[in-house]
Parts: sequence; structure tokens; C-alpha cells
Amino acid sequence: MAVSQEMLAELRSEGEDLDLSWLDAPAAERGLRIAPGKRGLTLEEISTGTYGDIPMQSRNQSGRMRGAAPRGDAQQTQQMWPFRSSSWSQSAMLLYEEAVQRQWSSATDVPWAELPDLPEDLEYAMSQLCTFLTQVEFIAGDVPGQYAPNVSGEFFEVGLFLASQIMDEARHLDVFRKRALVNGIGLLQAGPGAVNLLTAQDFTEMASTLHLVGEGFVQSLFRMGEMFAQTEVDKRMFRLAAQDESRHVAFGVMHMKYVMETEPERRDEIHCYLDRMEGLLGAGSAQAGLTGGGETTEALAILLGGGSTEAQINEGYMKLMAIRKRQVNEYMHRLDVVGLGDRRQKMHPMMQMLLDPSKN
Amino acid sequence: MAENDAPAAPAEAPQRPQIPGVIAPPAPDLKWMNAATERPPRVRELGPEGFTLAMADYGSYGLAPDIWPYENDTPRGAVPARDRGLPAPYTIYDKLDVWAESCAELYEAAIREQWKPATEISWSGIEPLAEHVEASLDQIYSNISEQAYNSNAVLLGWLQYISYGFHEVKLYLATQSFDHARHVEAFRKRALANGGGLGVQSPGFFNRTVFASFKFTEFVIYNNIIRTTFLLGLCEFGQEKLARSQADRQLFENTANDLRRHLVYGVEHLRYYGLQAGEQKRRNIRTWLDRGEVMLAADLKRDKPFREAVILASGDTVAAGKEALKDLRQRQFKRYIGALEAAAYRGREAHMVPTLKEMIETP
Ligand SMILES: [Fe+2]
Ligand SMILES: [Fe+2]
Repeated sequence: MAVSQEMLAELRSEGEDLDLSWLDAPAAERGLRIAPGKRGLTLEEISTGTYGDIPMQSRNQSGRMRGAAPRGDAQQTQQMWPFRSSSWSQSAMLLYEEAVQRQWSSATDVPWAELPDLPEDLEYAMSQLCTFLTQVEFIAGDVPGQYAPNVSGEFFEVGLFLASQIMDEARHLDVFRKRALVNGIGLLQAGPGAVNLLTAQDFTEMASTLHLVGEGFVQSLFRMGEMFAQTEVDKRMFRLAAQDESRHVAFGVMHMKYVMETEPERRDEIHCYLDRMEGLLGAGSAQAGLTGGGETTEALAILLGGGSTEAQINEGYMKLMAIRKRQVNEYMHRLDVVGLGDRRQKMHPMMQMLLDPSKN
Repeated sequence: MAENDAPAAPAEAPQRPQIPGVIAPPAPDLKWMNAATERPPRVRELGPEGFTLAMADYGSYGLAPDIWPYENDTPRGAVPARDRGLPAPYTIYDKLDVWAESCAELYEAAIREQWKPATEISWSGIEPLAEHVEASLDQIYSNISEQAYNSNAVLLGWLQYISYGFHEVKLYLATQSFDHARHVEAFRKRALANGGGLGVQSPGFFNRTVFASFKFTEFVIYNNIIRTTFLLGLCEFGQEKLARSQADRQLFENTANDLRRHLVYGVEHLRYYGLQAGEQKRRNIRTWLDRGEVMLAADLKRDKPFREAVILASGDTVAAGKEALKDLRQRQFKRYIGALEAAAYRGREAHMVPTLKEMIETP
């Protein structure tokens, strides 16, 4: 649908120096009229016609957005990944829109003023747990951030999702920092942290190590926040954070599922990433043992046991084992979903022990 | 923040609960309960803005040092681990390379002011427009969307270089990138919603310049000063001269509001850099401004579809549209020079590169 010739003639007679070729013969699809649906005007709704053709491969190395008209003189950057499978996740649009709708504020959506005074050992334990979390949370922002420059406008929904994840991780660093500081204790002992996740050299490696394993384990932990949160304030904080983590994990799961479906030859390669994350390469791994370093484990045991007497800590450790069990089984479930069910036989023996029997 | 030098507790035989096949955890040493960190006051009263980052970062927790000393993800105010593990890829340890005084406030403000393009824009109220007007608006919206995507992609790539200890900067930048992301989708949605489609891509000189920033402050000058002032000028102009519907007005207004925050970060950072950097580094500012202006001018000169779209969308006649385009360039110019002056960088007007001056005077 182009502008009528009469109108063009009229415009040209008014402004003789006007070119208007972009208007006369538009190179991008026109004539779309997209109305908002139940969830508003979403990315999925505008992904229609040629604008919904997500290429398997693209030579677009300029800043051109998918569907826009190209220019012959547009400059190239040669740093965008040409393949859809390099970063695509079927759920990127949905998860991005959900992220926009479900943003929350650590300043006002957590009822800080209602935080009761707790026994000192529990307060210290909470501050220690939150020191660990504030340490690792934004690594989960730095890691996806490093790949954003490689995602071209052809696959821009991935770039948008990454921005939403990084926004979420900012809020996570921030909410746990605030929790450590609100109660008069402050931050305590930092651990070895999560810098290793930044070594990922490939987007699918990141989805395997960060989304599927790292954030997956954190999501299970947050979802069991009811067990170790001592107050309604803390329960709310973990519930809100868990909601965000679910999106990050879902993005990674759907990316890996896509890769397994379209590039099944990458199976062994992906197992190698998981070997590393599970600690099978010999280096210690937080995931195979207990999340975080010694101090965080102790803090969790105190919170789970309700205090720091020997009996309480022992009880805390027993509950912690239940959390580990759930983390590992939820991890196995994600592996089944992406098509890596054979991981069951390859998993680190320490984790394998915690697996429920296979349903099939 | 002294390192916790207390000797490690001797390893003990496992005596914790036994689960068959699972190594029992060692006896707790609870040394972390004595971590030598600052005890802030217990927070009991909160204002209408809730528990803000600036409030939480009490005392030493709020002090970003001139040089951040740790190479990993040690949070500011915690005792660093004895075994710090792998140093991160961070390369920016000097506060002057990233700092802006009100990062913590800008971060909270950004969260308070977040808007939701899918549901908070009056999409249903957009009326069909004359073909050439709709196409012109779409050309302008495509351009804004494309620029925002470039900003988002490049900004996110910088996070991996900024030390963990400057957390308020990283947090603020996360909000800025999420703003860019929403600008990408909001304007794309508008371009596709009303019988139109996307327009022609930009020539891309400025996109590639943003990509090619070697220094973070250089990126901030291109993105948060030059691009942001020109986009802000466009949005302010758009609210008055381009918008045809409530949705159009909301898009321009909300985006302008976000861009003003980005500009505060840019201005404050440039001022801080200008004041703190020595003579050698301060000279970089001029080099970066020269380079940014040249590349912007190249885009403006070659982007015929954009220029013609502004002319067609903002005037009842072509002549009126041409006047409006001049008005747009003047607003953008004023925004730009005003930002530099606010950053205590004066006299640029006289030194602006000739090609940009030309594009402003005779667009
Ligand atoms: Fe997180
Ligand atoms: Fe996450």
C-alpha cells in the first residue's frame, strides 16, 4: 500500500527538491493494522506478516531492524551472529512482555516497615545469605549483557529479553543488599562468587550454565523460601525474586530446546558444559555441593533449623538436603524438557544420588 | 574493610546428619558472624518512596572509592573472601570513568517511572490517517526504534567491564537499558498498528560510532549526551508537532521522561569526568565530541527519508514542514549545547564541527 500518485504529484509540486522515493515505492511491508489483544499490544501480535518472518540465517550486519527497508550504503559491523539458533528462544516475546508487566520495586513492594526484630543469630544468618545473593545476582546480569551486542535486529526480541533479565538482576542485587542492611547487621562475609559464569564463550553455553543450572538452582531455592524465610517480609521478597527467575530459566530452557531440535549434533558439546557446571572436571562446583560457600550453607542451616544450637543446625542441614533434592530433581526435569534426558546417566554422582527414580 | 584473617578452623571428622551416600557437612564455625563490617542503624521509618538504595547504603556502604580494589564480585561493604577465585573481566576500576553523583536516585526514579507499552498506551484510540502522514510518522518511529536498539545492545555489552563495587552505576545502567528496550518495542508497535509499517533504516554512521566506543565515557558522550539530546529534542517536538493521537503523545511524553533521566546521568558523569580527570584525559572530551558530531551530521545529511518524513508529518504544506524541520534542529541543538553547559563544558557552540552546524542551520 503506497501513497497515491496524485498525492505524490501534489507534494512534489509543492517541494521540488523532495525525493520521496521512500514513500513512492516503500521497500518494507505496509498496510498492517494491528489492534491490541487481551494483554495489550504485545510483541507477539506485531510479529505478523513479513515482520513475523524470523530468518534461520541472516546477512544483516547493519543496525537494520527486522522488516525495515534496507539502504545500500548501510554500514556493516560483522559482529552479529548470523544464525537464528545462536540465540533464539521461542518464548522470548512472551517472557519479555511478562517481564514488563510484572516489574516490582524493592523500595515499595517489600513491606520493610513491617519487619519484626528476630533473634540475633537468625538476623546474622539472613544477612549472610543476602551477602551471598547480592554477590552473585548481578553476575547473572553481566553474563547475558556480554552477548547483547551480537544479537542483530533480525532477532531483536532476544535483545529485549536480555534487557529485561538484566533489569531483574539489578533488582535482585538491590533487594538482597537492602535486606542485609535493613536489620542493623549489614553485609558480612563474601564468598568465591560466581565469576566463573562469565567464562561462557557461546550463548548456548550460557543458557546451559547460567539459565539451566545456575539460575535454575537459585529458582528452586527461592521457591522454597517459605522454609527458611522467618518473616512475611522475607517470604514476599523470595516469592517476587522467584517469579523473575522463572522467566530467566524459561528463556534458557526454550533456547536449549530449540538448539536440541534444530542442531542435535550439539548434544555432546552441551553435556560438556554441564559436566563443568556439575563439577565433573575436578574443580569444585557450588552446584554439586551446597549452593554457595561454607558460610552461606551455615547461614541456610541456621535459618532452616530456626536457630544456632547444635540441634537446630542439624535439623537445618536435614532440611537443606530436602532443598538440594528438590533443586536436583527440578534440574533433571528441565533437562527432560529440553531433550537432554540422557543426562540422568551422566550426572555428577553426588547429584545423581538425590534424583527421584525416573518416571519412564 | 580488613580482610578476615582469622585462621580457618581445623577440619573435623563429619559429625553432621548422615544421608546414605552424601558427604555430611563439616561442623559449623560461624566465623562469618564476626565479620568486621559496619553495623548500620536498624531501619524503622520509611518515607513515601520506601526503602531506597540511597537509604540502604548507609555510612561506608554508600562510599564508592576512587579506585575499586577487588577484581571479582565482592559486594561493596562485605569482607572479601580469602580465596577470591577467578578475577572477573572487569577493566573499569576508576570511579571517574563511570561515576555520576545521583546514580542511586536515578535508579529508584527509573523504577518508579517505568511504563508498560503493551497496556499503558491508548492503542485503540488511534484513528486512520492520510497515507503520507502515516508513512511519515512510521518512518520517524522506525528511526527511534532502531536507535534505541543500538543503545540497548551496546550499553548491555559494557556491563561486563564495570567493577562490581560500583553497584549503583551498574544498577542505574540496567534501568537505562530496560528503557531503551521499551522504546524499541513501543515505537515499533506504533509503526505497525495503524495501517503502516516500518520505514527505511538509518545510514548507520552514528550506530557504528556508538559500537566503536573504546572508553565508557566515550560511549556516554555518544549515547547519553549526543544521541539523547537529539532524541529528546525530537520527542519534545513530536509531542507538539507530530503527534496525531493520544497514543502518539503518550509515546513521546513517556520517552522524553526516560530520556531526561538518561541525560542527567550523562551530564553528571561528564561533569565528574571533566573535574576529576587530569589535563590529558580531559582533552579526550573534545575528541569524542568532534567525532560524535561528525558522525551524527553524516546521518542527518544522508537520511533523506527521515528529513522528508518530518517535513510531511509536521506541516500542512511542504513549506510549513520545512520550517518545522528547522525548528526541530534548533530544539535539538539547544538541548545539546544546554547539556554540555550543564556538564560544565562551555563554549562548544563556537567549536561545533562545521558539518553539524550546517545540518542545523540549513537542514
Ligand atoms: Fe536473579
Ligand atoms: Fe536470574
